[in-house]
Formats: sequence, C-alpha cells, structure tokens
Amino acid sequence: MGGSNDSLLAARLAAGDDRALAEAFDRLAPAVYSGALRVLGDDAAAQDVVQDVFVELWRHPGRYDPAVGTLRTYLAVLARHRAVDLVRSELRRVARQEHSYRLAPGQPGPSPCEEVMASEVATAVRAAIRLLPDGQRRVVELVYFTGLTCREAAKAAGIPEGTAKSRLRLAIARLETVLDRQLLGPS
Amino acid sequence: MTPGDRGPALPAGLRDRVLAASLGARAAGLPAPVPAQISPVEALRRGVSAVGETLRALPREDWGRPALRGLDVQGLVGHLTGVDEDVHRCLAGDPEVAAASHVGSTQPAAARQAGHPPEDTRAEWRRAAGRTIELVATADLHAEVAVHGLRLPLGLLLVVRAFELWVHDNDIRQAVRMPPSVPDASTLRLMTEAAAGLLPHAAAATGLTEPTSVHLVLTGPGGGTWDVLMGQVAPSPAAVTIVTDAVGFCRLAANRATPDMLELHVTGDPGRANAVLAAASALALD
Repeated sequence: MGGSNDSLLAARLAAGDDRALAEAFDRLAPAVYSGALRVLGDDAAAQDVVQDVFVELWRHPGRYDPAVGTLRTYLAVLARHRAVDLVRSELRRVARQEHSYRLAPGQPGPSPCEEVMASEVATAVRAAIRLLPDGQRRVVELVYFTGLTCREAAKAAGIPEGTAKSRLRLAIARLETVLDRQLLGPS
Repeated sequence: MTPGDRGPALPAGLRDRVLAASLGARAAGLPAPVPAQISPVEALRRGVSAVGETLRALPREDWGRPALRGLDVQGLVGHLTGVDEDVHRCLAGDPEVAAASHVGSTQPAAARQAGHPPEDTRAEWRRAAGRTIELVATADLHAEVAVHGLRLPLGLLLVVRAFELWVHDNDIRQAVRMPPSVPDASTLRLMTEAAAGLLPHAAAATGLTEPTSVHLVLTGPGGGTWDVLMGQVAPSPAAVTIVTDAVGFCRLAANRATPDMLELHVTGDPGRANAVLAAASALALD
C-alpha cells in the first residue's frame, strides 16, 4: 500500500474518522495478528497485542509519521515492542516460578515452570537464549531463570558486577533482535 | 490489500472487540490531539487581535488597495466596524437589524471612511470590536439572537464573527500581498464545528432536498469528523463521504475557494457530493 494512502489514512485517523480505523484494521490486523502469534505462540496473547496496537494507533495517530515509513511497518514495530514486552514479563514470571519451585522442592505434580516451559513462548525464548554468546547466556540464566540479582550473578559467574550488568544489557539487546526477526518478518 | 498484508483469518469477535476498545479510548469524531477548548468569546477576541496585528503592519499606502466588493482596505475595515455596530444594536434588542442585509446595512460605515486617516479607521474599528467583546463577555451565550438574517445562539454568532474576521483578515492580506493567515487550532475547531453544524441549513437553502447522509472528515489541526443528515428524513439516505483539509473547507464555507481548489477525497454519489459542497459554499461565512 502506497505512502500517500497511508498519509491520508493517518490524517483521517487524526481527524477522528472511525471508518479510517476500521479500514486500517481490515487491511493490517491480519499481519499484526500473525506476527504476534508467531512470536508468542498464544492466541489470546496475540489478540491482546492486536488490540493494544490498534488502540495505540487510534489514541495517538500523530505518533505515526508517513514520511518515515509505511503504516504496516509502524504497526509491525508497535506489535514487536508489545510482544517483546510480553515475552519479557513471561521470562520474569518463569524465573519467579522456577525460583519458588527450587525453594520448595518435593511438591507433587509438574511444576508451574515445567508447564510454562512446554509452551511455545518459552520455546521461542529458550531458542533465542541459546544463540547468545556463552558469557551473556550464563548471566541471563542466572538473573532470569535462577532469580539472582546482578551482584549475585556476578559472584556466581566469577566476574565483576559491572561486567555482569553490561553482558545482561547486551544479551537483552541481542534477544530483542532475534525475537524481532521472528515477529513480522521484513515489511 | 496488498499480498504482503494478507495473514491468517482473524479470530471471531476480535474486530468488534478492538474497534470497541479503541472507540472507548477516544470517541469517534474527536480529533487527536484535541485542541484546547476555548469559548466563542475568546475565539472572537483572537480574531480581533489577528486583524489588529495585520492592520498595525500596514503602511499608509496599502489602505487604499482594492480589497473586496469594490471596497478598498480602509472601506473593508469600515465594513467590520459596521458589523460590530449592528451586533451592538442586536444585543440591545433592536429588531431592525434582524433582517438587515449584512453588506447593505454596513455600507454607510464602509463609505464614511473615505478621506479619513487610516489610523482613525483602525481606532474606530478597534473601539467597536472592543465594545462587542465587552458586551458579550458576561452575556448568556445560549440566548438566541437575530442579526443580518441569521437567528442563532449568541455563542454561535460569535464563532461566525470570528470566521468573518479571519476571512476579511485574509482579504486584506491578499490585497497587500501578505501571506495568508490560519487560525489557531482551538479557534479553527470552533469554526469547523460551526460550519458542519450549519451545513443542513445551507443544504436546505440551496435546494438539496434528497435524503443525504454526509460523513464529513476535516483533516489537520482544528479538524474533526461529523455525520450530518441533510434533506428529507428517510430510512436509507444516500451516503457520501467527503474528506478534505479543515482550512480548505473553511475557505469553501467562506466562499473564498471553490471545490476544485480543494484536495478532496469523495466516495459515494458524485452528484450528491457536489450538491453538498455547493451547500458548503453557500454558507458564505464572510
């Protein structure tokens, strides 16, 4: 879809034209949904991403600048950020659950962690983590999956705390890049 | 839809849910961002201020330049004085100004400027405009008033006056080759609301009687979206969508632009859309 159409659509959205919103949804929601579904592997979560993305577009249409790129790309970026946010919070939830499971061993049945790890979300995250360099992967595992603080993780890994922090930052940046590629693909 | 846009079928109900959530976050019709809301009195005050600035910048020789309807700049400022004087009479309850002609009634005020120094003309207008602002500052803006063939709430009359001030400001600016001015978004929003609200009356006046539903989308600062019903009431009126720039539409409504001068995006019956645009021109908010 051409940029001039996107410009007009953006102007209509800013003018409060609800039909423009419906048009944008009909044209672009399938791509947003499928991209989110690919990353998250969860239909309900993917639907939430679609809703968040279009509500954001409708509330703040001026944040989309047709001179910078197509509306499709803009929505893909919005969806990517939202999906990565969801993955991050899922990572933290997994870490918390795994930590509490280790603190209370011997509980009957599968742990919450095991259930979550079976999900496609965790699979995608694990796959992305496997692509990290060893040093970064080790810090991510210690912080997110063992639930250590950066200082504790540094001590456990035998590295200075500053190094642990910088490895964690680099790892998160890399994770986002890898997860981004899985989201909507090239626009 | 381009091939790249295609994706899997969306889950049932997702479209309705997303659209409802969006419209819950911002009602349809409202622009984003919404300009700061101002009162019609403030819109008038800003209009007066804008014209005042233009006049202050004019060298003496520019006051004699032809501006509008055979009036030079000085005569046009006299016309503005005449309009304010008629508004004063209207607010004082003088029934004669209700049906008076907007141009004819103000002609004496325009004509009497000839031979006077421009500073006197400007000062006289400024006093008249200031008196109007004084009179309406504490008035009931919902009270109905009648002037120059219009019967409308006072607040709407003040917006129409702000509209007129903007239009004549630009008449003067054009006459002296100054760049055109655009009202601030808050004032423009009141003007677009007024124009959209008056559209059915203009349609009736121009003979558009066929039932027509107009989805009017005015883009840019001060714009918005309106669904306006025109003509006879009918269960299934012809649907027309008109999308254009808010300032351009105001120029159309002020009879300072024709539809072919606007960047228009029209869907629906083209003939009906043309009739709607002709009705907008007939508003003649100048």
